[in-house]
Amino acid sequence: MKTMLKILGSTMMLQMKQSFARPMFRFCLLLNPIVNTIFLYELFFHRGVNDFLSYVVLGAGLMGIWSCICFSSVGDINRERYSGTLPFIYVAPGGFGLIVFGKVLGNTLLSLVTFFISYLTAAILSGKIMKIEHAGLFIIAMLLTLVCFIIISICFAYVLMLSRKTELYMNLLEIPIIFICGFTFPIEVLPKWMQQISNCFAPTWAVKMIRMSVNGGNISEFGNSLFILMVELLILILISLVLYRYMDRNIRIKSTLEVC
Amino acid sequence: MEKMEKMIEVHDLRREYVTKTGWIKRQKKSKMAVDGISFTVNKGEIFGLLGENGAGKTTTIKMLITLLAPTNGSCKVFQYDTFKQAKHIRPHINFVFGGEMGVYRRLSARDNLMYFAGLYKIKHEIAKERTQRLLDLVGLGEEGDQLVETYSKGMVQRLQIARGLINDPKIIFMDEPTVGLDPVGANILRDLIRKMKEEGRTVLLTTHYMQEADDLCDRIGIMNRGKIIALDTPEMLKKQYQKGDEEISLEDVFLAIVKGRDN
Repeated sequence: MKTMLKILGSTMMLQMKQSFARPMFRFCLLLNPIVNTIFLYELFFHRGVNDFLSYVVLGAGLMGIWSCICFSSVGDINRERYSGTLPFIYVAPGGFGLIVFGKVLGNTLLSLVTFFISYLTAAILSGKIMKIEHAGLFIIAMLLTLVCFIIISICFAYVLMLSRKTELYMNLLEIPIIFICGFTFPIEVLPKWMQQISNCFAPTWAVKMIRMSVNGGNISEFGNSLFILMVELLILILISLVLYRYMDRNIRIKSTLEVC
Repeated sequence: MEKMEKMIEVHDLRREYVTKTGWIKRQKKSKMAVDGISFTVNKGEIFGLLGENGAGKTTTIKMLITLLAPTNGSCKVFQYDTFKQAKHIRPHINFVFGGEMGVYRRLSARDNLMYFAGLYKIKHEIAKERTQRLLDLVGLGEEGDQLVETYSKGMVQRLQIARGLINDPKIIFMDEPTVGLDPVGANILRDLIRKMKEEGRTVLLTTHYMQEADDLCDRIGIMNRGKIIALDTPEMLKKQYQKGDEEISLEDVFLAIVKGRDN
């Protein structure tokens, strides 16, 4: 257990150093949330939406985290592949699954900075501070949102081990996920058929829970969302385990570890 | 006569690469990169695999280091199957690929080695001591805390050797480790390989430099189009192709064997 934590810790640190050294990641981390917060602020301010500040802060913050995951966690597998380190970390006895987890965790923790930047930007723009009605529930909701993003990122990383096209698909998914999971507006404004699709995605429920905890929503509604999120997270975890086994076998059959 | 301990056993090994082309009508193309090779490598031996580009040397190494599944045949390291029992093999082997890849360029050499030591579950104190020893061994003792991106090609390749030794491997696989190095750097690497043999390690080496193979290897396998077409000690290979008293180099032997096969 101690060894596993050490591997996890050192991989996280390595990942944070590597990610922060890249200009694209710094853009996603530092500049992107400021730009998104300004856009969302202008959009909501003139629409007369109640509690608009929560939409601005949460929307921009979640967009920032999601962008960091899209452009970094998943792309990191390709960066390891092109720098020739992927075969070495793949065969290391520390366990490839643990290394991928450490990488995603490092990026996700770093990407939390986007939330603080969005929060500060919105406070400066509006002269108000976003209030959180249920701080405890907010922490639970945030943690589960991060877990959700981490598992999705791990699944994509495994798929990327098998097919280099995954990075393209992940980039294509960035904006649709922001809209369909209600990062910047409630999914209730979407047509019914789209809402059905939204409900299939775990981030939708995680975001709902965050919003409820900030705006002071009904506790039983929070509980319902929590239940559905847990079920969807369980499914995601099972998918990631199956994907790991499939990847571990087929990567060596299909020879996709290196650049061909 | 003492029975030699076999570290690597390869029997009738094949590896086929299949690629698919086209969007609507998918067409399969296949290439047999390794085509029924058999050989063994004994403990403490430096075994060389020689061959032209595309002969199947790297594919063979990749199957041995558990990165690639064989299509057919048997491929064993420490008597464990490299595909099905990879977990038993991985902690005790390591590999070095030629070129400047395989290390984190935005970290220092020391941080690289410490990170890989962690991945091999080596205790922190041991890792720290071993990292310093390896940095000294490859002549990077003074530059160990500099970022790898500031290193020359030769320094990166020496760091790769150090990384390859971080888990104190019983077998080290080296795929063209001296490629592109200046004569001084190549000489340092060759000395390191000799030292590994003295320490009782088994080395499987591929190279395009015939003199290097002649100097270092106890036995050599020459590959051509996925097959091993000659396998013996450098002396015996030279003896077989020697005409009269005239001295013959391993390069002459290699060219004679490969050209003879191609014709």
